[in-house]
Amino acid sequence: MPKIKELEGKGTLTRRDFLKLGSLAGLALTISVMPKVVLANNEEKKDSGKTRWKKGDDILLRMLDDLNRALLKPEQERKWSMAIDTRKCVGCFSCTISCIAENRLPTGVVYRPVIEEESGTYPHVSRRFFPRPCLHCENPPCVPVCPVKATYKRVDGIVVVDYDKCIGCRYCITACPYSARYSDFGENYTSPLQPYEKLPSFEYQKKWLRKKGKSPIGNARKCHFCIHLIEDGILPRCVSTCIGRATYFGDLNDTESLIYSLSKEANIVRLKEELGTKPTVFYLI
Amino acid sequence: MRKFICILMALLAIAGLVSSYVRFLEGMKVTNLTSSIPWGMWVVFYIYFVGLSAGSYLISTLPYVFGFRRLERIGPLAILCAILALVTGLVFIWMDLGHPFRFWKVITNFNYTSILAWEVILYSLYLALLLVSFWFLKRCELVSQAKYSTGMKRVLAKFLSFSFSCPQTQEQYQDCHLFSLNLVKYLGFIGIPLVLFVRGGTGALFAVVASRPHWFSGLLPVMFLVSGLLSATAMLLFIHHFFSTEKERQENLPMVLILRNLLLLFLSIETFLFASETLVGIYSKIPERLELYHLVMFGPFPYIFWGGQLFLGLIIPVFLCSYKKTRRTSFWLSIAGLSCSCGVVSIILNLVIPAYVLPMLKGLDRAFIDHRLIYFYFPSIIEWLSSFGLISLVVLVFIYLVENLPVFSRTEIKF
Ligand code: SF4
Ligand code: SF4
Repeated sequence: MPKIKELEGKGTLTRRDFLKLGSLAGLALTISVMPKVVLANNEEKKDSGKTRWKKGDDILLRMLDDLNRALLKPEQERKWSMAIDTRKCVGCFSCTISCIAENRLPTGVVYRPVIEEESGTYPHVSRRFFPRPCLHCENPPCVPVCPVKATYKRVDGIVVVDYDKCIGCRYCITACPYSARYSDFGENYTSPLQPYEKLPSFEYQKKWLRKKGKSPIGNARKCHFCIHLIEDGILPRCVSTCIGRATYFGDLNDTESLIYSLSKEANIVRLKEELGTKPTVFYLI
Repeated sequence: MRKFICILMALLAIAGLVSSYVRFLEGMKVTNLTSSIPWGMWVVFYIYFVGLSAGSYLISTLPYVFGFRRLERIGPLAILCAILALVTGLVFIWMDLGHPFRFWKVITNFNYTSILAWEVILYSLYLALLLVSFWFLKRCELVSQAKYSTGMKRVLAKFLSFSFSCPQTQEQYQDCHLFSLNLVKYLGFIGIPLVLFVRGGTGALFAVVASRPHWFSGLLPVMFLVSGLLSATAMLLFIHHFFSTEKERQENLPMVLILRNLLLLFLSIETFLFASETLVGIYSKIPERLELYHLVMFGPFPYIFWGGQLFLGLIIPVFLCSYKKTRRTSFWLSIAGLSCSCGVVSIILNLVIPAYVLPMLKGLDRAFIDHRLIYFYFPSIIEWLSSFGLISLVVLVFIYLVENLPVFSRTEIKF
């Protein structure tokens, strides 16, 4: 990602610069509208359990219903899962950017990059996009290697990092077969720090301010399905901002849920299944 | 010449201390590590020094446990080398932590499924065992030195003898020394399996990572063990020459020749294991493995393989240890040792870094562009300075200890 100071001082804007600035503006916009979204979603939570979705409505509403229904159950009875439809993903990177904004990710940390795949030769070419969050493996290789039990699998299936315990040995980064983990090297996008970079993040339902030597700087970081949002009845940010509606989220233990029906489709793939990691994030192809 | 080297090392040590301070002040951003290549130079040196320590200890057990009396003179030197190398290795891995001051959490939040956590316990036990062995071997000489020498030597010996009272007669000394030798021997029965776990465990840290074909092999812990023995033999050859007087070199020539033969033995085993691993990999034609071998041999740093691993690590030592004009000369054998040590570091470098260079998922390297996500690593100036500064500091400490402790038993014991 570009640093703003690198963009400054250039007389003319190239198309690329324009796009880069656009992304950053989007990031700022997402942050500014976020409180309203949170408010709206909180209100929705009040009548959680009710089904408001009707056929033909936006699937986001159905997923919100699914989410709120799941929250009525005890934690150990939920099994969060995500599906990504590669046929619907348009490669807009909204999820990547909104995740960065939501979690105030610094430079070098991206929980959800979108991989582009090109196949064939002209004129028979096709392009496919597949976003890669943490796959929240059922059998995660990143967990047993951690020397301090800082990374573990919650009963609802989410693999988390306890920032206060993590010693930053980066063994989990080495062990993850999907490169879904990142090290926070303590760098920022802007210098001097712009106000948006000073905002705290609320990962794992705690308040994290970026201060030298303090977590999450120096820690291993990764996608956590926006626990701080889902626990409040809000869909993960990448799901609600996906303009192609290509990302699905819900409780796999709920046979009524959209994610459950998708998991029974014939056209699903899981990445590197041969490793036996059993990712709970799957792709529809 | 020696003075010049010491001054140079002192300067490097100061630069190293300053850059380590910068590292602790600024955090990991002073390194050139990335999330794609999260382990770099410090981890390479950690592996090397832990291996050097394990190998040195195993060599010291040859006289004390297995009764190879001809190697007895190198015993205390090997144990001292093992102590300092272990501490150096641990400092390197400590420096590599994102939160170095939380290291104690490994004990309070112990994760029994983590090899790294077990390693920390094993290192502590192993360090304790080394210190006890060294102290028992040298306690009588320390007491004697505390009594009859002057200046710093006296202060150091007095401190390290921990108010142990010296035997009063030659006979009592013999009994006391015999007791120490027996103790070190029995400690060796614990120490040998312990050190096999220590070094094998360091190899297993990498070997268990199933998603990295470059590491995922049952041979890796064995290769780590042999490389440790190799680096220790090589280093002892070098250190022995560097620290001995001309008379000692003459007297100890039979011992040096045994070390030379051991060097050749370990070198052949290591080469055999490496060749078998590589050839099986090449024959299997698994694209990822082939690409990795290609990278190692013809990638951005081919000189590490051709120059470091092959030339310095194999050709030079084999030549110096077998050519008739050099194979019985302490000096040339020490050069063979030094060259072989560089070879071992190259082997480790080529083992650690290339495993990270290919993206885990095709296209991931182009998915998001950031300098902390690239698949290329060359250490930063801080990494270079802190590494070589720390090594220089340790060498200076080693020189100081060898000159001020009765490592070579140069003076008669007085009662
Ligand atoms: S994708 Fe990687 S980080 Fe996520 S749970 Fe699986 S192994 Fe762990
Ligand atoms: S970096 Fe943190 S979470 Fe990862 S293995 Fe090390 S201590 Fe555990």
